[in-house]
Amino acid sequence: MLQHWRRLCLLVAGSLLPSLSLAGPSFENTAVVRTIELGGSVIHVSTTYAIKALEDGQTTYHIALAKDEKEKTSWMEAKIKGQAKPLAITVLDEDVDTDASSLVAVTLPKQLSAHGTLNLVFESVQTHATRPYPERAAQTDPQLLKYEADVFVLSPYDTLVQRTKVRSLSPDIISYSTPQGVDEFVRDGTVTRSGATITYGPYHNIPPSANVEFVSKYQQTISIHYNFDYPVLEVKNLERSVEVSHWGANLNVEDKIHLHNAGPALKGHFSRLEYQSQNFFGRLSPHTLDRLILQLPPGVTNVYYYDLNGNVSTSNLRAAPSVPKNSKASQNSILEMRPRYPLLGGWNYSFTLGFDTPLQDSVGWDAANDRYIVAVPVTTHISGSVVDEATVKIILPEGASNVEFTSPFHALSSSVSTHITYLDTIGRPAVTLAYEGLTGKHTGVIYVSYSVPFFAHLRKPLAVGAVFFGLFMLGFAAKRVDLRLHKQS
Amino acid sequence: MPTAYPLPENVSPATVANTASLLRIIALGLISAAAIASRLFAVINFESIIHEFDPWFNYRATRVLASKGFYEFWNWFDPTAWYPLGRVVGGTIYPGLMTTSGVIYYILHALHLPVDIRNICVLLAPGFSALTAWATYMFTKEMKDDSAGLLAAAFIGIVPGYISRSVAGSYDNEAIAIFLLMFTFFSWIKALKQGSAFFGTIAALFYFYMVAAWGGYVFITNMIPLHALVLLLMGRFTSRLYVAYSSWYAIGTLASMQVPFVGFQPVRTSEHMAALGVFGLLQIVAFAQLVRAHVSSKQFQNLLFVAVVSTGVLGFFAIVGLTYKGWIAPWTGRFYSLWDTGYAKKYIPIIASVSEHQPTAWPSFFMDLHFLIWLFPAGVVMCFRALRDEHIFVIIYAAMASYFAGVMVRLMLALTPVVCVTSAVALSTLLDTYLDPTEPTVNEKAEPVNDPPSTNVPVTPKKAKKLKDKETAATARGALGDVVSSVTSAAGGSTTSPKTTKGIFGLDGRVAVLVNALGLLLFFVVHCTWVTANAYSSPSVVLASTNPDGSQHLIDDFREAYYWLRQNTAEDAVVMSWWDYGYQIAGMANRTTLVDNNTWNNTHIATVGKAMSSPEEVAYPILRKHDVNYVLVIFGGLIGYSGDDMNKFLWMVRISQGVWPDEIQEPNYFNNGEYRVDDRASPTMKECLMYKMTYYRFAQLFGGGQAIDRVRGQHMPANGPTLDYLEEAFTSENWIVRIYEVKKDDVLGRDLKVANAFGEGKKRKRTKPIARRKAIAA
Repeated sequence: MLQHWRRLCLLVAGSLLPSLSLAGPSFENTAVVRTIELGGSVIHVSTTYAIKALEDGQTTYHIALAKDEKEKTSWMEAKIKGQAKPLAITVLDEDVDTDASSLVAVTLPKQLSAHGTLNLVFESVQTHATRPYPERAAQTDPQLLKYEADVFVLSPYDTLVQRTKVRSLSPDIISYSTPQGVDEFVRDGTVTRSGATITYGPYHNIPPSANVEFVSKYQQTISIHYNFDYPVLEVKNLERSVEVSHWGANLNVEDKIHLHNAGPALKGHFSRLEYQSQNFFGRLSPHTLDRLILQLPPGVTNVYYYDLNGNVSTSNLRAAPSVPKNSKASQNSILEMRPRYPLLGGWNYSFTLGFDTPLQDSVGWDAANDRYIVAVPVTTHISGSVVDEATVKIILPEGASNVEFTSPFHALSSSVSTHITYLDTIGRPAVTLAYEGLTGKHTGVIYVSYSVPFFAHLRKPLAVGAVFFGLFMLGFAAKRVDLRLHKQS
Repeated sequence: MPTAYPLPENVSPATVANTASLLRIIALGLISAAAIASRLFAVINFESIIHEFDPWFNYRATRVLASKGFYEFWNWFDPTAWYPLGRVVGGTIYPGLMTTSGVIYYILHALHLPVDIRNICVLLAPGFSALTAWATYMFTKEMKDDSAGLLAAAFIGIVPGYISRSVAGSYDNEAIAIFLLMFTFFSWIKALKQGSAFFGTIAALFYFYMVAAWGGYVFITNMIPLHALVLLLMGRFTSRLYVAYSSWYAIGTLASMQVPFVGFQPVRTSEHMAALGVFGLLQIVAFAQLVRAHVSSKQFQNLLFVAVVSTGVLGFFAIVGLTYKGWIAPWTGRFYSLWDTGYAKKYIPIIASVSEHQPTAWPSFFMDLHFLIWLFPAGVVMCFRALRDEHIFVIIYAAMASYFAGVMVRLMLALTPVVCVTSAVALSTLLDTYLDPTEPTVNEKAEPVNDPPSTNVPVTPKKAKKLKDKETAATARGALGDVVSSVTSAAGGSTTSPKTTKGIFGLDGRVAVLVNALGLLLFFVVHCTWVTANAYSSPSVVLASTNPDGSQHLIDDFREAYYWLRQNTAEDAVVMSWWDYGYQIAGMANRTTLVDNNTWNNTHIATVGKAMSSPEEVAYPILRKHDVNYVLVIFGGLIGYSGDDMNKFLWMVRISQGVWPDEIQEPNYFNNGEYRVDDRASPTMKECLMYKMTYYRFAQLFGGGQAIDRVRGQHMPANGPTLDYLEEAFTSENWIVRIYEVKKDDVLGRDLKVANAFGEGKKRKRTKPIARRKAIAA
């Protein structure tokens, strides 16, 4: 289905794009409101387009993303306002204007006739969009971040009115920039601030802006310097390995996580005294990470948390009971874990976290096709963090064949290899998927389907049994062979 | 024939033999299981982790072996140890332990059992303890019989003296060495008994393995020649002895020279000369025997004997002469300290500073051996009663090991096996006597009894005893054997039933003694379990304490700090610490160290000691010259961890005093002979780097209250030391590990002390006169 839409989109885009510049726009934005929720490593941007079709039979609307904006964006979704179902979107490879912006085609649910209107919500998540400023902070200093964005939301269509709201979690905004030279769009005030919200605009009557001329003439960067009260976390590298065991009725999930505190690097040195007194008074510096709270699936058992130096004993688990698959879990298991040492700005911590879950919670049997289907979540999300690189390896039972898999979102690469572990004779098929820039929005599950012939289940006990039988036979024979030269009478 | 208790009848000999064999196998299996299980306290109470200090190096080397292969390991030059000298690891270690783990690792991986190398290392010692139990069984079987063997195996399996060095995680050379020791001795006894070149070769091969595994191989190198020499002097020279010794020495010595760390030592050093001398002596004696076989004159033989002895004496003097000439290396200092316990403290403080090199305290004999310690002499006496060749071996072993165990705590390990063997012999004799169902015949006439079932000629009691001894030697009968023989005699009457006039009457006497013996054994098990669980199972990397609610709380400061070093410092950073922590830093933090537990370079260690015990401005150039980035100290004053650096500090002073007697003097660190760290500490103490790093900002932790060092129980002054040339980089949760970064040179080229004073605004003194003038004006 998705493939089908993609092809259609490409066709539509291919036929439309030349006409965009030649035949004039087919839409008009009556209002564009962009809301930026300031955060640490993850910035949430939600843009509402009130669109009006200028011609009949419109099915595709184009959203423009500025070049660096596109680089930062790791996740996007388009919806009709008030509806839950996301619309099909396609990032177009053939940009209108490669230097200025790239286009995202949104397929509208129904054809829009001339003067038909629609409220379209485009949500995206930006990662690595903030930087600590100043770059170094002492242990007791606040954590100040700087976020930069473009003042105008680009669009290939005319825009009647446009505004950008920047919201911070705390009203402690150090400074924000005021755009210059935008007077021809401004009627009353370039930028206003009320509490924790800064509003840029409204700007009126903006011509189609997704082109080099507009960008070079009017586009400029706004920057907000603000106080952020939570640690800025990055997972530099995540290696998830999931092992499906039919004999053990167990799904083992193991994550190797390399965590980095991307907040301002520690200036000077870490003083335990300072840390202990901060802790005592309950005023821990915002860039100090002393604990992580992770949501594990319900029904987890044998949770383990260790690093290169062995077990880390400082963790608490509140396990929720297992729920049958396809039913909604009322609560998750909560793992409250502390790193070996408090993680200050610029420090790293790598660790391994693993757990078992009952297999019946995540594996289903497709009787019609004689296949098993296993659902594996892509990551266990660390709240407020971004995963730079992730590899998910799903190890199927030995002898599984006809392996097929679907990823909830685009994977950088995928492959099927052979993984050999405890007492395997031919090895197990393993599906490896690579991702980058995962955030809290990337919470899908990977579905892997495979079939296991009956004999494959028996392979391991038979192999082990055969070896032991052979050993006993050897012992049996050796006991009865007499190699002595001088026979004792 | 009267018996004290009824015996089953009509049991065929084959059934008895099979049952005995099955029971033996089951017993050995259970003993192995108990030996392994009791060593797993450390894993269950804590985790699968490498313990203490040296094991961390062994573990690191094993990881190199497992990941890079044998040749890489063999040629391994480690530039991160002993910075900037480096260490040729392949040539300065006993590779047996790592190779063993490596081989197990490769075999398991070839079988598709991808066991983590750490788990192999952790569980190697318990695994080998099961083998030790088996080897001890075989050895004791040669001394007495199966039942004594099983007892000895059970003893060695759980005795704390051996467990102390072989709990899970204690990945040290001793873990496999005791098995090799016992098996070499067993093969030697077997070779000696049978005159078998085959067993001599096996003894040599295991001797080689032992040489490759542990420096304590010298014990075997001297024990076997000593045994041979004693046999010779007792006039017990046989061709069996000749064959056994020659095959063992020739093959064993050649093989041992293949270990790079040993090299030509077997022919160059005094420790090995005894073996060579006895080898020569045996050749001469054998030659003399050959001659004697062809010449019958008694006088000639006497002459020969004189010649032999004089040649031996000459040979001895030749060795002494060669030693003086320098052809043979004299005894090493470590060896001298075995004879003179005060030697190390005077001349080699670095050896004396190790706690396991201290003389053994009396209670630790009981703690490590429990009731075996008083069965031990009884067992030795038992050996004197029979006094076959192998008993002489045990007697010599007992005498030597008792002495060594008294000299050094760590040599308790060498004593433990022989204590187990002799105690088992004693206890098994006791049990034999009291379990034997035959009632002694009352012989009023004190005359040999002629009984129809006896097919023998009439025997006198003396003869009967001899006969019995012979039987014991031939069939290795024990309690079981007695029962078997009596059963079979009752059933078929085919074997002899020696009529004894000595024995126990009735059941009450038997029951009383047996219940007592059983009680001792039970208490032994309870004691062993308790000691193992409480005293020997702590990894010492992790400290256990209890929360107020009784749950276990782990104090994990070492790993916290090492992991911080590993994750948050430059990969080529150099960390200076006292040598105790060198291996741990290399293993857990993966950083370069100046000195470590392989204390081969006294000067380098003394340099670190000097840096620690000098004032900052003296220490700073030393630190900079050695490219030190971080300095690590251990401080237990906050939670009362007594093994910290302040308590070891005097050794640092002594060791550096040995090299720089003009600059470092031990008395300067005392205040009127008292070791003080509070405000009455001597000025030298207060100025030295170690003191400053230990107590930096410590008093502030108490928020104005009286700061107290809980290890030394002294109140600290409110104004603690200040640092100019170093700054605090990290302190662990309970302040046990404190890491300081060495500051770089000041950018303006000032002395760091001046720069610091400027930074703190102390130069404002100049403004003081102005203030005074203002005051006057007011």
